[in-house]
Amino acid sequence: MELIKRARQSQWYGVGLLLIVTALVWLVFKAMCPSTFGDPDQLLTYLQTGLIYAVGGCGLYFIVVMGLWDFSIGSVLVLSCLMAIGFSQSMGILGLIVAPILCGALLGAANGLAYIKLRIPSLIVTVGLSLIYESLSVFASGWSGTRLGDAYKMFGSYPWNLILAVLAFALCTFILKYTKLGTYVNAIGANEATAKNMGVNVDKYKFLAFVLCSTFVGIMAILYIGYGTAQTPMTGMLSQSLNFKPLMGTFFGLAFKKYGHPVAAIVIGEFIISMMFAGFVALGMPVTINNVVTGATLLAIICITTKRVKGAVVK
Amino acid sequence: MEQKLLLHAEKIDKRFGPTHAVNEVSLDFLEGEVHALIGENGSGKSTFTNMLTGILPIGSGTFTLMGHDVAPKNQVDANHQGIAIVVQETGTLGGLSVADNMFLGDEDQFIRRGIKDTAAMNRKAQELLDAYGLGYIKATSIIDNYDFEDRKLVEIVKSTWFDPAVLVIDETTTALSQKGRDKLFEVMDHVRELGHCVIFISHDMGEVLKMADRISILRDGDFVTTVNREDVDEDQLKTLMVGRQMDDHYYRTDYPDYAREQPGETAVSVRGVTVPGMIDDISFDLHRGEILGIGGLSECGMHEVGKAIFGASYDRTGEVVLADGTKVKDINTAIDHSIAYASKDRDNESLLINDTIEDNIALPSMRDMGRVLSDKKLREFSDKYAVLMSTKMVSVNQYVSALSGGNKQKVVLARWLGKQSDILVLDSPTRGIDIKVKAAIYALLEQMRKENKAILIISEEIMELLGMCDRIFVMKDGKINGELTRSPELSEQDLISKMV
Amino acid sequence: MTTSNDTAIDSKTTAIDDKKKDAFAARIRGFLPLIGFVVILGFFAIATGGSILTPKNITLILSGGYMLMIAACGVWLIMTMGCLDFSQGSMLGVSCAVFCALSQYNLALAILGGIATGGVIGAINAYFHVYRQIQSFVVTMCVMFLLRGVCAFITTTSPVYAATYVTTFNDMTLLMGITLAVLVITYVVTRFTSIGHNLKAIGANEKAARFAGIKVQKTKVIVYIVAGCLTGFAAFINAIKVGSVTSTAGNMLETQLLIAMVLGGMPINGGARARFSNIVIGVLSYLILQKGLVMMGFTTEIQQLILGVVFIIMVALFSDRSSNQVIK
Repeated sequence: MELIKRARQSQWYGVGLLLIVTALVWLVFKAMCPSTFGDPDQLLTYLQTGLIYAVGGCGLYFIVVMGLWDFSIGSVLVLSCLMAIGFSQSMGILGLIVAPILCGALLGAANGLAYIKLRIPSLIVTVGLSLIYESLSVFASGWSGTRLGDAYKMFGSYPWNLILAVLAFALCTFILKYTKLGTYVNAIGANEATAKNMGVNVDKYKFLAFVLCSTFVGIMAILYIGYGTAQTPMTGMLSQSLNFKPLMGTFFGLAFKKYGHPVAAIVIGEFIISMMFAGFVALGMPVTINNVVTGATLLAIICITTKRVKGAVVK
Repeated sequence: MEQKLLLHAEKIDKRFGPTHAVNEVSLDFLEGEVHALIGENGSGKSTFTNMLTGILPIGSGTFTLMGHDVAPKNQVDANHQGIAIVVQETGTLGGLSVADNMFLGDEDQFIRRGIKDTAAMNRKAQELLDAYGLGYIKATSIIDNYDFEDRKLVEIVKSTWFDPAVLVIDETTTALSQKGRDKLFEVMDHVRELGHCVIFISHDMGEVLKMADRISILRDGDFVTTVNREDVDEDQLKTLMVGRQMDDHYYRTDYPDYAREQPGETAVSVRGVTVPGMIDDISFDLHRGEILGIGGLSECGMHEVGKAIFGASYDRTGEVVLADGTKVKDINTAIDHSIAYASKDRDNESLLINDTIEDNIALPSMRDMGRVLSDKKLREFSDKYAVLMSTKMVSVNQYVSALSGGNKQKVVLARWLGKQSDILVLDSPTRGIDIKVKAAIYALLEQMRKENKAILIISEEIMELLGMCDRIFVMKDGKINGELTRSPELSEQDLISKMV
Repeated sequence: MTTSNDTAIDSKTTAIDDKKKDAFAARIRGFLPLIGFVVILGFFAIATGGSILTPKNITLILSGGYMLMIAACGVWLIMTMGCLDFSQGSMLGVSCAVFCALSQYNLALAILGGIATGGVIGAINAYFHVYRQIQSFVVTMCVMFLLRGVCAFITTTSPVYAATYVTTFNDMTLLMGITLAVLVITYVVTRFTSIGHNLKAIGANEKAARFAGIKVQKTKVIVYIVAGCLTGFAAFINAIKVGSVTSTAGNMLETQLLIAMVLGGMPINGGARARFSNIVIGVLSYLILQKGLVMMGFTTEIQQLILGVVFIIMVALFSDRSSNQVIK
C-alpha cells in the first residue's frame, strides 16, 4: 500500500526493519523464559557485549565490502589486549588507549602489505599471518602478564564503554560518508575494473582498508580487555573463534548497505546476536553449544544475505 | 563557414596480437561540429575512440587537441584534459549514490584537509541534474534505485558538465528509449553550440544523418573517407561502409542451385526460443550438409542463439529439438548428441587456458574411452587431432596459454573433431586469427559440409558469411530480420540493410 | 621515437625470450617441492645431529602421519578444484566420536559409522557451497566451528572411549598398509580415470570446464562427500592410536593439512599444476618439519611462528596466477 511504498523509499526503512526484528527476538525469548531474560538491566548487559563486537564489525566492514576477508582479527585482538595490559603498567591511561590502537594499525599494515605484495587471496594470507600473530602473543604475554590492573577497567562498564564505542561508530560513519576512502571501498567492491579505469588506486585503498580494519580491532581491544579484565595468549588457531561475532555484525551491515546506514545495521545486528546468545543461556543451553550456535548463525546470516546468480563461479 | 581545427589524429595505430585493429588512421575534427564515425563491427571505431579517452593505451601515433598532444592514462585523466566519453555498457557503480558516481575519481575538488564535503558534492550534483532537466533524479539516492536509462543519463551529466572540448558518444543510443535519445541529442546540440566537438558512433543511419555535420567511415581498421551530411544518403553510406574485394582463394567457390537441390535432413530444430532481454521467439532448422550463417550487429542476440542450441543458456524458453526427438536442455545432452560449440569468448568458454592441450582436446571424449584412461591413450588421441589440425605446438603437454590465437582455435576444433561431432555451432570462428589459419579453417568447414555435417556459423564478419554460408539469417534486436540464400549476386549491401 | 614496426619486432623477440624463460621457470617450479623436502630433511638431519634419522624417530614420525596422509587425499581432491575445506579437524573429532561409540558394538559398523558421519558433513558443506553459492572457505569455517561445539558437547562429562580391542590394532605394518592402500587407490582413480582430469579442469577454469561437458556442480558435491568419507576413515586410524576422543580432537588438523599441501607444491587455486606428489611430498615434509622443530627444542609458539612464515612463503611461491587476474 501507499504507506509501505513510501516507507520503503525512506532512508530509515532498513533501520526500522532491524528494530522490528530486535523487538521480535526479545519477545520470543522473553516468552520462553520470562524470569531469567529480558529485564532492563539485563538489556544493558546485552548491549554492552554487542557494542564491543560492533566496533570490530565496523572495522571489518571496510574489508568485506570490497569482497576481501580478514581472518586475522582474532589474533590481532589478542595481541592488542596484551599490549594494552603491558603499556598500561608503564604508561598508565595513555598506554591503555594508545598501545592497542597502534598495535592494530601496525598489524593491519602488515596484513595489507603482505596481501598487496604477495598477490595471494586475502583469506589465505590473513589466516597465515594469524598463525604468526598468535605465536607473537605468547611472547607478548610473557612481557606484559595477563591481568589488567584494577585502575584501568573503566572501559569495561558504562559510561566509558559507551562513549568510546560511540566515538568509534562516529569515526566509521565519518570515514564512509566524508572521505574518499569510504567512496572507493564501495566502488572497488562494486566493480574493481571500472573503479581502476576511473583512476582509483586500488592497491593503495586496499592497503588502507586493512590498516583501518585492524585499527578498529585495536579500539575494540580497549573495550574487550576492560570488560574481560584478563587475556591469555592463544595459539593453535584458537583465536579464530574471536572472528565470528564481529563478522556477523559486518554481514548485517552489508545486507542493509543499500538503505544507506551500514553502521546502524552493524550495531543493531550485534545487539540482536547478543540477545540471542543470552536467550539461549537463559534457556539452559550448555556453554559448549555456544560454538554450535555461533557457527550455525553466521552460516544462516550469510546464506540469507547472499544473492544467488545463475552460473556464477564461486570457489 | 570556416571552422577551426579542434582535434587532429595523426597516424593512430593499434594492434592486438595478430589483429591490426586500427591502421594508421588520421582524422580531423573541427570546432562546433557533430562528427559521426561509422563502420561495421571490427572496423576500429571503438578502439580509436578508446585510445582517445584513456580506456586503452595508444599503440602509436598522436592526438593533438587544441595544439597540445594528449595521451590520457584513464577516463578521469581524459576528463581533466577536456575529453569525455559516454560508453555503451553500464558506466556507473552500484552501491554508490548518484552524486558519488558523478564525481568518482574526481572528488578532490570537494576535499579540504582530507575531509570530503559530501553536502557540497550532493548540492552540486543536484544543481547539475536540475540544469539538465533531470531534476527527478535525486543526487543523494543510491544509484541502484534507478533503471539503466536513468543511470545512463547520469553518466551523460557526468561526462559533460565540465564542457569537454571533445565528447565521444559510443553507440549509446541503441539502449535508450526515445526520451533518453532526445535528451542525448539535446546535450549533443549544446556541445556543438559551445564550439566543441561531438564524436558520434552509431549504427542507426537515420540518427547519423539527422545529427551529424560530417561523417567519417572506417573499414577493417582503415580510414575510407569523410563526407558532408548534405552530400550523402543512407544507401550511399552503407555502400561506403562495405565495398571490399572478395578474395576468392579464401572462401567457397561453389554456388549450388538451391532451387533444384533437396535440403539435407534436419539436424536441429530451434522452435520459439526466447531468452529474456536477448532473443525473442527464434525458430529455424539447421540441415545436414549445409553451412548456415547468422549475422547482425554485436548486440542483436545472435551469440545467445549459439549458446541456446548448445544447452548453455540460462532462462531459456522454447525448444531445441534434434532429429531423433531429443530435447537439448543442458550442455551434456548437447555434447552426447554430437553437438559441438566454439564460443566467441575463446579464452573463457571454449578453452581451459591454464591447462594442457591434451586435456583441452580430450575432455569431452574421455567418457568414450572406457573406464581406464592410460596416459598413452590420451596422448595419442590428442596428438592425432592436434596434428590433424596442424597445430603449432611443442607437445600436447604444453599449456594452451602459450599458443597464438589461431592455434588456440585449432585446439578448439581438434576437440570437436576428436568427439566426432556432426553438428557444429561456431561463434566467431576466425576472430583475431591470421590469414593462413583462416584459410585452413574455411577449407576444413567446406570439407565437413561435404561429409554431410551440419554447421552453424555465427559471425560479425559479413564477408565470412557471404563467402561460406548456404543460407544466412540476419538478426536485429533479438529477432530474425531476414533470410538470404547464397548466390554470386548476393552482396554486403543486402546484409547490412537488414542488420541496422 | 620508435616507429610501430620497430616496436613490433622488439616485442616479438622479447616475447620469445619470455616464453623460454617461463618454460624454464615452470620446470624448476615442478621440482621445487622435492628440493624443499630434501632441504628440510638435510637441515634437520644436521641440526639434530642425525638423530632425526634413527629408526625409532622415523617410526615415530611415520606413525603420526597415517591420519594426515589419508585425510590429505581428500583435501587434495578439494583443493585441486580450487576450493578449500576448513572443517577437516572437527569433522575428524565428531567422526571419531561416532566410531568410538559404535565400536562397543561392532567394528565394521563403527568404521562405516565414522565414514558415514564424514560423508554427511561433507554433504552439508557441499550444499551450502554449491547450491547457496557461499564461498567454500566461509562455509567450512562455520561448519568447523559448529562441529567443534558438537564435539565439546559430546565430551562434556567425559571423553568418548573406544572399545578396548581397538587400540590393539596399533601395529605399524597394518596401519602403513592401510595408508598405502588409500594412497594407491587415490592415485589410480585420479590418474587413470577421467576424474583427475575433471578436477583439474574445474580448478583451471570452472566456466570453461562446464562448456567442455563436465558436470561441475555434481562433481563438487561428490568430491566433498568423498573427502568427508576419507576423513571419517582417518578417524578410525586416530581412534586406533589414541583410543578416545576429547573435546580437542582433531584440533588444527585443517591447518596442518593446508600447510602440508602448500609444502607439497599445491597451488592455492588448484588447477592443472596440481600433482599427486603434492600429497606425499607435502605430508612427509610437514611431518619432518614438525618433528624436527620439536626435537630442536623449540616451544610450541616458536614452532607455530616458523610454520606460519613457511606457509606464507610457500603459498606465494607456488601460486598459479595470471598477471591480470583480480585477486580477492
